[in-house]
Amino acid sequence: MSEHRLDDGAIATGVPKIHFDDVRIGFGKGAKRKEVLDGVSFDVRSGEFVSVLGPSGCGKSTLLTLAAGFAKADAGSVEIDGSPVVGPHHDRGVVFQQYAIFPWLTVRKNIAFGLTLRANRHNKADINAATDRYIDLMGLRGFEDALPKTLSGGMRQRVAIARAYATNPSVLLMDEPFAALDAQTREFMQELLHEANLEEQRSAMFITHSVEEAIFLSSRIVVLSNRPTRVHEILDVPVPMPRTAESRTSPEFIELRRHLEEVMRSMSSFTHGGTP
Amino acid sequence: MSKIWGRILWPLAGFGSFVLVWYLVAVSGVMPPGQLPRPDEVVGTLATQFRDDDLLLDVRLSVLRVLIGVAVGCSLALPVGFLLAWYTPLRQMFDPLFSFFRALPPIALIPLVIIYLGIGEQARLFILIYAAFFASVVVIYEGIASTDEIYVRAARSMGASEMELFRRVIVPLAVPQVLVAVRVAVGVCWATLVAAELIAAQRGLGASIQDAANFFQIEMVYGGVVLIGLSALVMDRLLAVVMKRAVRWQDRVGG
Repeated sequence: MSEHRLDDGAIATGVPKIHFDDVRIGFGKGAKRKEVLDGVSFDVRSGEFVSVLGPSGCGKSTLLTLAAGFAKADAGSVEIDGSPVVGPHHDRGVVFQQYAIFPWLTVRKNIAFGLTLRANRHNKADINAATDRYIDLMGLRGFEDALPKTLSGGMRQRVAIARAYATNPSVLLMDEPFAALDAQTREFMQELLHEANLEEQRSAMFITHSVEEAIFLSSRIVVLSNRPTRVHEILDVPVPMPRTAESRTSPEFIELRRHLEEVMRSMSSFTHGGTP
Repeated sequence: MSKIWGRILWPLAGFGSFVLVWYLVAVSGVMPPGQLPRPDEVVGTLATQFRDDDLLLDVRLSVLRVLIGVAVGCSLALPVGFLLAWYTPLRQMFDPLFSFFRALPPIALIPLVIIYLGIGEQARLFILIYAAFFASVVVIYEGIASTDEIYVRAARSMGASEMELFRRVIVPLAVPQVLVAVRVAVGVCWATLVAAELIAAQRGLGASIQDAANFFQIEMVYGGVVLIGLSALVMDRLLAVVMKRAVRWQDRVGG
């Protein structure tokens, strides 16, 4: 559990954690065909937290679906740790936008679920230790025996994040996990996730349409264009780590936010005001 | 306190007011004499029948027939339901066919059943099993097929094998749906019971209603109807309790 993520093999050989190379995908056939991803390329390097920001409908969640192995690209390649993605695998921890924790299991059993699968081969002591660790990390102590139906949306996503960490994945894939939460809970969850990941040092790809969220959490931001989607720009986030609530008012943060909001606005006016 | 009211006293008040209206109509003389017995006369007849004519045997036989029908019908429906839920082409192939058989009233099959199975116990059980199977199989596969893909994806992303996926995700998700199906089957089987017992049954609640009607024993006809209703109600309530316990994790529980 305590292996050092930053000096594993990947960084020494320079192999990116996630590698998207000229990824193309579209829906429909013939004249009705719509290109969604039109040659998207970027990397998530070891230890990086990368947000993918883009206008709605640009296919940013599709990128996550491809990385998770739930779908296949029409062309181009998606690689995790240098190997092409062929399907879902426990080397990738996935957190979904919908509350995907199992409603029939308690918080503890949800977090332990992945660890008890044969693919992960853990003994009972390991399972308990890891489960306890992530219960504490996500602030779920005292709720171990609660059923999901008794939890708020924010608490449910904490369980989902703890569950994703627990199987010790090589990368975390998160698909707008806080989109359904109210503004206040959302900011709190961003801070909780940021702190947790500073401790865990996992590489992560985080899908969002919130500029604020992308800046707060990420070391780099990939901005996608409107459909047919390409990478519009890739930006380093100059806001120093660790980030706190105060970081949101730092000059770097505000400057980057202004720029990104401008970019997002120009894209949405293109969508709404442009030719059909 | 309000729990007792909600669970026991209000339902009792519902039955009480129904019996009261029944009583008032019966004594008012609106109905021609001899056509509507008073509730107490019906209860009296039932008491005599239980004592002199072993009415309990009829109740037991009917309950047993319904239980066998539900047990066998649902046991057959379970694997078929899972298969149809899992393999979309299979479902597309059989869904219209199963809907056809489900829509077919079991009573319409009685002449055929008599031709092939005669008028023995097998014929009655066949009708009940048929009714339970088609009532429950559709509920099972529609329920399972509509389970949220997100849980399957979540389990796969954690490394679940096909077997683990089935055992630890599909089955728990299916439990509420299967219980709903059993409950539907119980309802349909009780509704079909009288038809099944029309096939030359000597005993059973359906048979005793039929006998009583043949001899114009109107009190006993009412008594039989009341007993069928009561037996079905008790079974349904018991199932509702089982459901509540088995699917405590659900946000909403019918019952």
